[in-house]
Amino acid sequence: MTELFWNQHAAWPMLATLQLLPLAGASLLLKLGERPLATFLGRAVALAELLLAILLYRLLDSHATGYQFAERLDLAGPLAYHVGADGVTVLFVLLSALIVFLITLYGLVRGLAEPARLLAVTLAIQGVTMSLLSTLNLLWFVLASGVELVLVGHLVRHWADSPERDKAAARFVQFQGVGLAMLLAGTLILGWSHHDTSGTAWTFDLLDLAGRPVPRDLGVVVFFLLFYGLGVRTPIFPLHGWLPTVAQHGSLAVAPALLLGVKLGIYGLVRFVLPLLPEVAAAWYPYVTGFAAAGVFYAALLAFQQVDLRRLMAFAVVSHTSLVVIGLFSLDAVAFQGALLLAANFGLAATAMMLMTGFVYRRTRTTRLDKLGGLFDRIPLIGLTYLVAGLAIVGMPGTPGFDAAHLVLESAIHRFGALPTVAAALGNVAAAGFLLWAFQRAFLAPPPAGRGAAIERAAGMESLIAAALVAVLLWSGFHMGPWLDLVDAPLRALAERFGHV
Amino acid sequence: MSDALTWLLLAYPLGALLVWLAPRPEAARAVALVAHATGLALAGLALAAFDPGRAGFQLAARAPWIPGLNIHYAVGVDGLSILFLPATALLFLGVTLASWNSVRELPRLYHSLLLLQAGATLGVFCAVDTMLFFLFWELSLVPFYFLVSLWGVGPLRGYAAAKYTLIMFAGGVPLLFGFLVLAFNHAGLGGGLSFDLAELLAMPMSDRQELVVFLLLLAGFAVKMPVFPVHTWLPLLAMEGPVAVMALLAGLKLGAYGLIRFAVPLAPEAAQSLHWLLAGLGTFGLLYGAVAALAQTNLRAMLAYASLSHVGLVLLGIASFNLQGVQGAVLQLVNFTLAAGGLFLLTAFVQRRLGSTDLLALGGAAKTMPLLASFFLFFGLAGMGVPGTSGFPAELLILVSALQTHTGAGLAALFGMVLGAAYFLNLYRRAFLGPVVQPGVAQAVDLQARELALVLVFAALILAFGLYPTPLLEVIRPAAEAWVGRLS
Repeated sequence: MTELFWNQHAAWPMLATLQLLPLAGASLLLKLGERPLATFLGRAVALAELLLAILLYRLLDSHATGYQFAERLDLAGPLAYHVGADGVTVLFVLLSALIVFLITLYGLVRGLAEPARLLAVTLAIQGVTMSLLSTLNLLWFVLASGVELVLVGHLVRHWADSPERDKAAARFVQFQGVGLAMLLAGTLILGWSHHDTSGTAWTFDLLDLAGRPVPRDLGVVVFFLLFYGLGVRTPIFPLHGWLPTVAQHGSLAVAPALLLGVKLGIYGLVRFVLPLLPEVAAAWYPYVTGFAAAGVFYAALLAFQQVDLRRLMAFAVVSHTSLVVIGLFSLDAVAFQGALLLAANFGLAATAMMLMTGFVYRRTRTTRLDKLGGLFDRIPLIGLTYLVAGLAIVGMPGTPGFDAAHLVLESAIHRFGALPTVAAALGNVAAAGFLLWAFQRAFLAPPPAGRGAAIERAAGMESLIAAALVAVLLWSGFHMGPWLDLVDAPLRALAERFGHV
Repeated sequence: MSDALTWLLLAYPLGALLVWLAPRPEAARAVALVAHATGLALAGLALAAFDPGRAGFQLAARAPWIPGLNIHYAVGVDGLSILFLPATALLFLGVTLASWNSVRELPRLYHSLLLLQAGATLGVFCAVDTMLFFLFWELSLVPFYFLVSLWGVGPLRGYAAAKYTLIMFAGGVPLLFGFLVLAFNHAGLGGGLSFDLAELLAMPMSDRQELVVFLLLLAGFAVKMPVFPVHTWLPLLAMEGPVAVMALLAGLKLGAYGLIRFAVPLAPEAAQSLHWLLAGLGTFGLLYGAVAALAQTNLRAMLAYASLSHVGLVLLGIASFNLQGVQGAVLQLVNFTLAAGGLFLLTAFVQRRLGSTDLLALGGAAKTMPLLASFFLFFGLAGMGVPGTSGFPAELLILVSALQTHTGAGLAALFGMVLGAAYFLNLYRRAFLGPVVQPGVAQAVDLQARELALVLVFAALILAFGLYPTPLLEVIRPAAEAWVGRLS
C-alpha cells in the first residue's frame, strides 16, 4: 500500500476540510441557537460539504492504487491522525454528503422541534462520519465510532415522538456499546501483536499493520472480534436486535438514515478487516456467508409479519445487508465491486424510503400499516419514490441495485455454486414481496374509516427531495460505468491479497 | 436507418414525459394518443425499411452500456420479431382509445404508464443483448403493476397486481441465471463474458450446459406465457385488472416470443431432445384452457382461459421444430394481437356500458348493440381460426406440422379446436343472443364512432391477412428458415 500526500497534488488539505467544515458549522449553530439564520447556515454548510465531496471526486485519480490526499500528524503515541482517500472512500463520502444534505432539506419540511440543534447534531455526525471514512488509523476509527455512538444516541432519543424512546435509546447504546468494546478489544490485540512480533513501538496504522500479518491463531480471534464488532453496527443477523426497536421508537428517518444510509460497518470490513486478515477471512468465509444466507430469509420472514412500516423497514435493512455480506465474502474483485456498490445503493434507497416514511408520518401521525392506506391519490410522487427505492433494493434493472446485484451473483456462483446463489436470489424475491406488500397497504389500499381530514398534498420541498432521490437512483442505475470505475482500482488491489484478480 | 429502432424506443418514454406537460387532463390524453400514433408510424417505418429477403438482424444499433461486463445497448429485428413492432404499437393505440373516457382518476399517470409499458414491451421485441432484453422484460412489470392496482375493476385488484408482479419477479430469477450461465460459458471458452445474442448463438456448448440453459430459460418464459400449472395469475388478473389493459395480456404473448427468440436457438439440442415436454405442455394447456373456458360465466374469465388454450397451440407449433411450425407460431402470435386483443377491447366497451361482463348482466346484447355483437363474433371466429380470418393460415400451419411430428398431440389439438368453438359460441349465445332481460342491456348504446373506427381497423387487418397471408409469411420465412437451420 502506498500513499500520496495532499501537498503533492492538491491545493489544500481536502480531507481535513471535509471533516472540520461540518464540525465548525455544528459548533457555530450551537452558539447561534434557535434563530432563522442558524437553520439557513446549517443547510449552507451541508451544501458546501456536498460540493466539496464532488470536488474530491473530480480531483481523485481513480486509476491510481494507494491512498491519495493523505495527511499525517502524530498525536499521542500510537494514536495518530492519519487520513487518506481512494475510490471506495470517495464513493462513501459522496453518499454521506448527499444524504446529509437531503436530511437538512427534510428537516425543513417536517417541522421538527429545535431545528437548529437538530442541524447542529446532524452536521456533527457528518463530521465524525467523514473522519471515520477517511482515517487510516484503526484506533482512531474505533474512538471516532464511540463519538458517533454518543451523538446518534442523542439524536435517537431527543427527536423521537414515541413514549418508549428511552427504551429505544437504551437498547441502541447497549448493543452499540458491546459492539464497540469488541471492536476496541480486537484493535488492541492487533496493536499488541504488531508490537510483539516486530519489536517496534505500538501502532494502529493500517499501512504498518498490513505489512506484517498476524499469527494465524490470534488472527481468528481478532477477525471475529472486529467482524462482530462491526456487525452490530451494520447490522447483520443475528446482531440486529437493536434496530427494530430503534426504528420504531427512535427518531423517525433522521437517525436511521444517518446510521443505515452510510453503511460504515461494511466500509470498515473493506477498509480494515479484509486487508488486515485476508487468510482468516478466506478460511472462515463459509460460516460468515452461512449466517448471512440465514439472515436474508430470517429477516424477510419477520418483515412479512410486521404491522408497522418502520419496523418492517428495519427487517428489510437486515435482509439486504446480509446480501452485501454474501457478496463481500465471495472474496474476489468482481464481488467486492458488486458488494460495495450494492451497499451504496441500499444506503441511498433505504434513505429514500425512510424520508418518504417521514413525509407520510407528517400527515398521518402514525406508521401502522392498518392506519395508512389511500395515500397514493393524494401524494403520488412520494408513493412513486417509495416504490422506486423499493425496486432499487430488489435489484430491478434500471436502478443501481441491478448491476451491483448482478456482479455479486456472478462471483457468488463461482464461489458457492449455482444452487445457494439461486436461493439467495430468491431471498431477494421475498424482499420484493414484503416491500411491495408494504407499499400496497400504505399507499394503495382503501383509506381507513376513521381518518378525519384529507391528506395534504405534497409541498414543493417534499416533491423536490423525492424527485432528487428518484433522479439519482435512475441516473446512476442506467449509467453505472463511472461508479464501477471509481472503486475498481482499490478493490482490485484488495482482491490481490486473496490471490484472485 | 440504423437509428429507427432507437427512435421508436425513445418515442414512448418521451411521450410519457410530455403527458405531464399538457395543461389539462383532456390535453394529456390527446398527447398520449399522438405519442402512440407516432410510435405506430415509426414502427411502420421500421417495417418498410426491413428487407424481407434477408435472414439475420437488420436495423441494428449498438452502443456500450456497461463496458466492464461487456453489456451493450444492442437492438435489431429479424423476420421473427419485426411484425410484432407494428402489432404492439397498434394494440397500445387501441388500448389508449378504448380507455379514452373510462379513465377518470389520475388520467395523466394512467397515460404515461401506458406509454412506458409500450416502450418496455417494444424493447423486449427489439433487444438482441440478453441483459438489455432482461432490462426491458423486468421494466415492463412496473407500469403494469400500477395499471392493475390503481385502475383495476375488481375488489382484489391490489392482490392480483402483487401476485402477478411477484410471480414475474420469481420467473425472472431463472431467466437471469440462464443468461448468466451462457455468459460464463462464453468466458470459459476464452472469449470473455458475453451477453450478445449473435455471439452466444455462435458459441458451442456441451449437452449438459445446453440442458441447464434451456430448462432455466423455459422456466422463466413458461411463467409469462403462461403454461399450466403456473397460469393462476392470468384468470385472476383478467377479473381484477382494468379491462382495456388486459388486451395487452391476451394480445402480447411475450413468453412465447422469448421461447422462439432465445430459449430454442440458444440451446437447440436440448430443445429438440425435450420436444415431448414442449408438445406435452402445449397440448395439455390447450385442452385444459379450453375445458376451463367452457365452465366460465364471465366474458373476461372465458377470454383468459381461451388465452391459455391459444398459447398451448403456439407451444405445440414451436415443438414441431420445422418451418411450418415456427411460421405458424409467429403468425398465430400476430393474429392473437389482433383477435384476442380486439376481443378484450370489445369486452372493455361492454364493461363500460354495463359495469360488468358477467352473463347475469348480459343476455340479448345483440339486440341493442348489433355492431358490437357482430365484431365480437368476428374476432372470436378469428381466434378459432375460421377460414377467411388471419387465424386460419396460422392454425393450419401449426396443425399440419404438429400432425407430422406429434400425431397424437396434433389430433388432441384438433379436438381442442372443437372445444374452442364450443366454449366461445356457447358463451356468445348466452351473452349476446336471446331476449333482453336486464334494463342495463335495454338502454345500452351501440359502438360509437371512435370505437367503431378502432375495431374496423382490427377487423380489416384480420380479414386482409386471412385472405392473403403471403406477405406476412414471406417476412417471417428467411428468419424462420435460419431458425430451423440451427436445429438440424
